[in-house]
Amino acid sequence: MNEVNEQTSVRKKQLRNNLTAYAFCAPWMIGFVFFTLFPIGFMFAVSLTNRKLNGISDFIGFANYRNLLQSETFWNSFQVTIFFTIIMMIVTTIWAVIMAMLLNYKQKLNGIFQFCYFLPSVIPTVALAYAFRTIFGKEAGLLNAIITSISGKNANVNWLYDSHTVYFAVFFITLFTYNTGQMMLTFRSGLNDVPRELYEACDIDGASAFRKFRNVTLPMISPIVLFNSVMGCISALNGSFALLYPLTGESGDPNGMTQVLSLLIYKEAFSNMKVGYACALSVVLFLIACMFGIGIFAVSKRMVYYEN
Amino acid sequence: MNQTIVKKKIGRSFILLLKIVVAVIMFSPIIWVFSGSFKGINEFTTSSNIIPAKATLENFAYIFKNSNYLVYVRNTVLLMAGTTAGTLLSSALVAYPLARMNFTGKNVIFAIIVGTMMIPNIALIIPQYIMFGKIGWLDSLLPMIVPAFFAYPYNVFLFRQFFRSIPKELDEAATIDGCSKIGVFFKVLVPLSKPTFVTIGVLSCVFWWNELTQPVFYINSDQWRTLTIALMTTFMYTAGNAFVINWPSIMAASTLMIIPPMLLYLFGSKFLVEGIKTSGLKG
Repeated sequence: MNEVNEQTSVRKKQLRNNLTAYAFCAPWMIGFVFFTLFPIGFMFAVSLTNRKLNGISDFIGFANYRNLLQSETFWNSFQVTIFFTIIMMIVTTIWAVIMAMLLNYKQKLNGIFQFCYFLPSVIPTVALAYAFRTIFGKEAGLLNAIITSISGKNANVNWLYDSHTVYFAVFFITLFTYNTGQMMLTFRSGLNDVPRELYEACDIDGASAFRKFRNVTLPMISPIVLFNSVMGCISALNGSFALLYPLTGESGDPNGMTQVLSLLIYKEAFSNMKVGYACALSVVLFLIACMFGIGIFAVSKRMVYYEN
Repeated sequence: MNQTIVKKKIGRSFILLLKIVVAVIMFSPIIWVFSGSFKGINEFTTSSNIIPAKATLENFAYIFKNSNYLVYVRNTVLLMAGTTAGTLLSSALVAYPLARMNFTGKNVIFAIIVGTMMIPNIALIIPQYIMFGKIGWLDSLLPMIVPAFFAYPYNVFLFRQFFRSIPKELDEAATIDGCSKIGVFFKVLVPLSKPTFVTIGVLSCVFWWNELTQPVFYINSDQWRTLTIALMTTFMYTAGNAFVINWPSIMAASTLMIIPPMLLYLFGSKFLVEGIKTSGLKG
């Protein structure tokens, strides 16, 4: 009799414990259902209609997806999105590692250097975009002026509107985004945590600086590289809108070369007022994000070195 | 022996030189914006000198005279305050059981939270736009402030990591003294993690100060414009001529937007730099 009582009291205690925990989690659960789960379902539903911006809609089955697969603009945008995400991830990671290694080399004035390296990443991307639209501008642009004064020839390139230079210009600008600054800071502390003895062992073996980096530094900071590439991926998919919309417009000039999916979604929904079609595009973007997530974790399992 | 010292010195100066080059590259857009904001429109479109030939304050005067600048400041501050308060409160509450309690379904909940961190906001913004339109929240700050009160996964994740670093014995001592779970949260964890609240608060403010995407989707009218949208639309064209972009005024407005994060770095770099560093390290 006593034992049964005890059991029910243990169970009661556990139930109470569970309920308290769920009560604490309630804000997230409500938010998850209303602001994530429901929008996902709703997005699939609307993507099967020809809904317009004014709300008029009819069920049209998979017509949006059929149109999308036949649309050149979509395929261009699809490629640009994947290209932009991957290259931005690589370029910003490398640049962040370079800056972190420079800053970790102990010298005077490092405080000022970090200020200069980091500040661009906490200013609004709109301000950054406009600064670079004028720096890369054809007339009175800073870059053309610098090239003119160095080479003596009159440089007259419209960097952001020329199909040969636009990618150089855009990826150069991604070096100034929040993600790069954050990676730089995390790499700094990651690099500090690499045990000195490993480098000393290398010195005894007479290893070159490059081999030290390849065989000691890189494996030791690989977990941070992984975490940062995940975050970098999301911020490239997510933040590309805030950077490219003020930079190259909703059509992704020149010729849609920078029209990532988020810009196309905005254009279809608000300029062409085809909300149903925009939802079908959102579904594709959602699936791309899922694929990137799965891909990164699959790669990480094979390549990342964990101490424990 | 002498030779190696010379070699080392050359190496050091070379690295210093590299550092200076990178610093000039990284800081050039900010210098360019600052200098541009003091140029007249004719000078801006014809000369690329860093030091303005004839410095003027007319661009700043133009901004305040020709737009509801103070309204935009109010909106941005409201947005920052609302979202930050919301996310601090809700994310900390949700993180508590995940860091401290054992309950059925904990791993599932945590896995979903990590999973939703991977979904880019922009993929769900159109269905959310329709949803908020149905309940009449469009063209206000509500679509951004209200969701903040329902815990951002990323902030939950950060709070959880911070809470786990606080010794568990403190909770147990408080429980023995007769504290309930809620009591432990408010009387033990919250006071001990004040720096964490400041850190996440600072990150949230920086994010919303700079955020363009969501306001662009949700806000239409001038009365709810935030500074970032104003920067994109309001100062774009010179009065009377719709085809000349008023760059110096845009630069002046950008200058005003760069100064607060800059001051934050100079006077609160502990919170800003450390916060961003830890938020990136908590893998």
